[in-house]
Amino acid sequence: MEVYFYLRLLLKRGENKRMRNSSKFQWLSSVIFLYLVNQAHGQKRGVPHDLKCITHNLKIWDCSWEASYRINHGTTYEVCIVNSSYSCIQTEKTHFEIPALSLADHEIKISSTHVSGNSVTKFILSERNVSLVPATLQILNLTADFSTSTLYLKWNDNGSAFPHHSNVIWEIIVLYKEDMEVATVATFNTTLMGKDSVHHWNWTSDIPLECTAHHVKIRYYIDELHFFGQKEWSEWIPLRISGSPIKESYEVFPRDKVVPVGSNMMFCCVVEETVLTAQYGSEKCSLIPLDNKSVGIKINNITISPSSGTNVVFTTRSNLYGTVVFAGYPPDIPKKLNCETRDLKEIICSWNPGRPTGLVGPRDTNYILYERFSGRNVTYKRDEEHMNENHQLIFQMISGQERYNFTLKASNPLGGSEAVILVDITQRVYPHTPSKLNVKGINSTAIFLEWHLSGNFANINLFCEIEINSAYSGQELRNITVKGLETSSYHVSVDKLIPYTMYTFRVRCSSEKFWKWSKWSNEKQYLTMEGIPSKGPDIWREWSADGKSVIIYWKPLPFNEANGKILSYDVSYGLEEETQYLSEIPDPHHKAEIKLDRNDYNDYIISVVAKNSVGSSPPSKITSLEIPNEDLKMEQVVGIGNGILFHWNYDLNMTCDYVIKWCNSTRSEPCLIDWKKFPANSTGALIEYDNFQSGTRYNFFLYGCKNQKYQLLRSIVGYTEELAPNVAPNFTVEDTSADSILVKWEDIPVEDLRGFLRGYLFYFEKGEKGTSKIQGLESETRRSDVKVKNITDITQKTLRIVDLQGKTGYHLLLQAYTDGGVGPGKAMYVVTKENSEGLIIAILIPVAVAIFVGVVTSILCYRKREWIKETFYPDIPNPENSKALQFHKSVCEGSSALKTLEMNPCTPNNVEVVETRSAAPKIEEDTEIKSPVAVVPEEGSDAEPENHVVVSYCPPIIEEEIANAGGEEAGGSSQVIYIDIQSMYQPQAKPEEELENNSVGGAGYKPQMHLPVTSTVENIIVADDLEKTAGYRPQANVNAWNLDSPDSPRSIDSNSEVVSFGSPCSINSRQFLIPPKDEESPKSSNGGWSFTNFFQNKPND
Amino acid sequence: PVSQPASPCLLTLLLTPFTLGAPISLTDPINQAYNLALYMQKNTSVLLQTYLQYQGSPFSDPGFSAPELQLSNLPPAAVPFMLWRGLGDGERLLQARGAFSALAQHLQLVSDDQADLNPSSSVLLSQLAAARLRAQGLMGNIVSVMTALGVSIPAEMDSLGPAPFGASAFERKCRGYVVTREYGHWTDRAVRDMALLKAKYVV
Repeated sequence: MEVYFYLRLLLKRGENKRMRNSSKFQWLSSVIFLYLVNQAHGQKRGVPHDLKCITHNLKIWDCSWEASYRINHGTTYEVCIVNSSYSCIQTEKTHFEIPALSLADHEIKISSTHVSGNSVTKFILSERNVSLVPATLQILNLTADFSTSTLYLKWNDNGSAFPHHSNVIWEIIVLYKEDMEVATVATFNTTLMGKDSVHHWNWTSDIPLECTAHHVKIRYYIDELHFFGQKEWSEWIPLRISGSPIKESYEVFPRDKVVPVGSNMMFCCVVEETVLTAQYGSEKCSLIPLDNKSVGIKINNITISPSSGTNVVFTTRSNLYGTVVFAGYPPDIPKKLNCETRDLKEIICSWNPGRPTGLVGPRDTNYILYERFSGRNVTYKRDEEHMNENHQLIFQMISGQERYNFTLKASNPLGGSEAVILVDITQRVYPHTPSKLNVKGINSTAIFLEWHLSGNFANINLFCEIEINSAYSGQELRNITVKGLETSSYHVSVDKLIPYTMYTFRVRCSSEKFWKWSKWSNEKQYLTMEGIPSKGPDIWREWSADGKSVIIYWKPLPFNEANGKILSYDVSYGLEEETQYLSEIPDPHHKAEIKLDRNDYNDYIISVVAKNSVGSSPPSKITSLEIPNEDLKMEQVVGIGNGILFHWNYDLNMTCDYVIKWCNSTRSEPCLIDWKKFPANSTGALIEYDNFQSGTRYNFFLYGCKNQKYQLLRSIVGYTEELAPNVAPNFTVEDTSADSILVKWEDIPVEDLRGFLRGYLFYFEKGEKGTSKIQGLESETRRSDVKVKNITDITQKTLRIVDLQGKTGYHLLLQAYTDGGVGPGKAMYVVTKENSEGLIIAILIPVAVAIFVGVVTSILCYRKREWIKETFYPDIPNPENSKALQFHKSVCEGSSALKTLEMNPCTPNNVEVVETRSAAPKIEEDTEIKSPVAVVPEEGSDAEPENHVVVSYCPPIIEEEIANAGGEEAGGSSQVIYIDIQSMYQPQAKPEEELENNSVGGAGYKPQMHLPVTSTVENIIVADDLEKTAGYRPQANVNAWNLDSPDSPRSIDSNSEVVSFGSPCSINSRQFLIPPKDEESPKSSNGGWSFTNFFQNKPND
Repeated sequence: PVSQPASPCLLTLLLTPFTLGAPISLTDPINQAYNLALYMQKNTSVLLQTYLQYQGSPFSDPGFSAPELQLSNLPPAAVPFMLWRGLGDGERLLQARGAFSALAQHLQLVSDDQADLNPSSSVLLSQLAAARLRAQGLMGNIVSVMTALGVSIPAEMDSLGPAPFGASAFERKCRGYVVTREYGHWTDRAVRDMALLKAKYVV
């Protein structure tokens, strides 16, 4: 009871304390407690104790107990389950087996019998005290696949031994290396299904299994829900690996392994010797010891291998060991998979393998083309020599099947991929190149085209394209649909061809449901047959100049109308009914002459027929005569570049056609270069002709056709392009007078005109011979003194140029111009005649005037002879009465304003006796004295260049100025004036004014006065003195004269002895002719006639 | 595909001197064998270098050499000089003939191996095929010399034994290396063999 009590207590406490669902803990605590209680009893009393019960399958309990060794030997036991139907068990051992009891507590009574006596021990046993320990497993298999370093485990879970569904926890541990490191621990759950089940587990090792020993153990735990006792893990079950390393001789592992690029790998070398180095490819690796005769290396992120793989080499002292690893890629998905047929017999599927796998030889990618509908497949045969980017496989077509579902499977040791394509093969026809192209003629415009196209196209229509090429019509493509054949021979007719034409044919085909064109077949040339010429030749006729024959012209038929080689032409002519044939004219000739007389006025019909080997063309007809046209005008036309445009009005009467014929205007009759016909409804034409030349005049004739008869409508002269004349007009000077020239010119010949003449340009210019500026200059650059006349009246042939100067040279130039430009000019030099009338007049008038003056003078002299005699040649000269000076004055001065000869009353005292000297030559008969030498002005530097100016030496005047001379005029009171002729006639006012200014500075020339004036003040003083002395004293101081006017020629000539300077005009007298001073004479004080005035004026000239 | 063997044949024909001092039957075979060996000698190092170049590192490393690698069924050419010199003509020729017989068989094996490992290396494959044909040719020439010398000719041995299908890629590379290397060594030795005979029998 004590035991029971404790047990219950413990269980109660244990239940309270235990963790939820922790049967392990419950079981452990119960066993410990039961053991402790029984131990205490047994040892105390020497009887069975520590009863323990376990079960492997929940059906049988296996119980055992401990017994004191002293009483154990020779002891028999009787185990009875109290109050049960089980009979007691007699045993000599300390354990017994009983069927599993119900959940209630059961009293077990063990009676032990031995020599020393008997004892009875009682135990309370319930299911809760029983432990569930799973039995040893039935291992079916544990195999190692060394090539993949994988362990495969297969076992039976013995589930039939357990009545219920139970969860099972499996635990597998793999140990490796000598020191039994844990390589992996795997735990997983299964469920017992009430029957035996086989379980699998596999594991791939990081390192090759050959590298070191591997140990595998397994245990398991059954979590039986309906069992209330303790549940325990089974014992570890060691497993033996079946299968052994392949051969002893392989020292390095793994061997020849194919791995994906980027994997991590372990290589090991198993040798007795010490491994010194290891290398992967060319890379040295650090060694990892595995066990006493095995070392490894670890390679991370393996890169792609060369073709023969990457070598892994371990080196020992005496040898080297190695293996090869092939790192590459699994096959890429095939790209651009395409299936088509060329002959509907086999299907060609091609593809691009995509990314290279890096694996070759036996490791290269295998391709299998699988057709889903038929279930057939084709394997790719690698052709190393014809490896290119695209791969292809040929699949034989299945009759009656049009739709194909292809799957291309690619695989290599690292994996596989596939691509799918579904095709209707009738829509994927890419025919072979058509061959054996041949042409057979049908007629002149149609042929048969034959070709061979291998393949069985019986079920489809072919769509073919025929390329027809000829030099005449160019390239043409014709598409045809032909029924596909099994026999491969096709022929089609090709029509609408041009006869007698060399054609080049070629063909390509596709299916009617277009996929791809085949390549073009080879070309085939063929000349189509000849046909009858379709039209008669284009004809025209011209009468000969004498009207005795008509020449019929025709043009060769164009290629498309000749339809063959024209062999000859038949020309015939005749009146209404009767027809005469000329002989056959062979082809190269395109005209014929028919002897007819225009004056017969018979209108013949001429007809021309072209013939080739097949037949004759329809005839072309033309009448021999024209309908006359009275009002015909000559028109002018200028073309546009290389052609000429004609316009005419629409005329209902013109029923056949219009003809424009043309010829070079300089040619003689019959004149015909070419003609061109235009339909009756046309109203204009552009005539273009390759041989038209610029600057050449052509005659054009426009004919209209009424009732098959032609009528000349217009006659036109024209140029395609006008040019400038290429010759100058030939001109001559017909007449020359003193003021005019008459020029006459000739026409320029038409061929030199090169355009319609629009006028002439006539240039003339005054000038000496050889200095013409006309020629060689363009008109716009000609100088303004070149005069030009534009003659636009082209009928004018003469020109009179008037208003010329007599006896003058003129340059003349004549040019003709057209709209094309101005032609060259012809130049000429002409001198006008002398003007005789003018000359006569010019002589007569002065003579008449001279005579008249002479007569008048004579008359006057005669009538005044007494006075003259008295005045000039008195018997007794009286200077007082002499008028000579006055006469002189009037003649010399010519102006009443000048009073220089007005003499002051002569003071005899002032007149000194003049020595008789030889100064006379200086005095001529007139009072004017021409001085051959320039008078140099006072300013020496200002040299007067005008030496030629005639300076007259005015009459020597000796003035004695007394009255009213202002201070400023003092310096000029008595002066000798040099004056030139022009100055002499100037009004006196101006010199006076200037005198005022100039004399102030003492600048005046005062040759006869020794007046060393140095300043204004002195000047004034001197002036005062002068008033007193007031006299001209030329003789007074010769030295002073010389000094004052050193440059004076007079002073030089006269030297010191000259004293007669300034003597008045007198022919004979050697005296000074000084008239008495005229008091009444105005402005006598310092008039123009003074030396001062002269010198003052001089610079002003 | 190999046209080169034609040229040594032509060469031997051209170079064969007609010597009155020796039996014609002996002079010709010796000269032929000598000339062929001489011609082969020029190509052996190229073959070895080409072969190694295609095997990857360390084979393709400059100066690669692994004299420790040997093939049990391919007799090594290396021999102590005096031992070689002391051999009788017949024995010397017998060894050479056996070696080239084995070499020809091994070169076929190596060709097959390389067709797997380096299928696109047409240069290497053609050189191997050429070497095999030359080895066979030289073997035939040696047999001719032996016949001329009156040496009894044993039947040709199958030196390869059972088909060595299971060899790993590394073993095949090494095997090829040893074969091409020994092919060179044996060619060198054959030149010396024939030179010796030439000196002896062909004046």
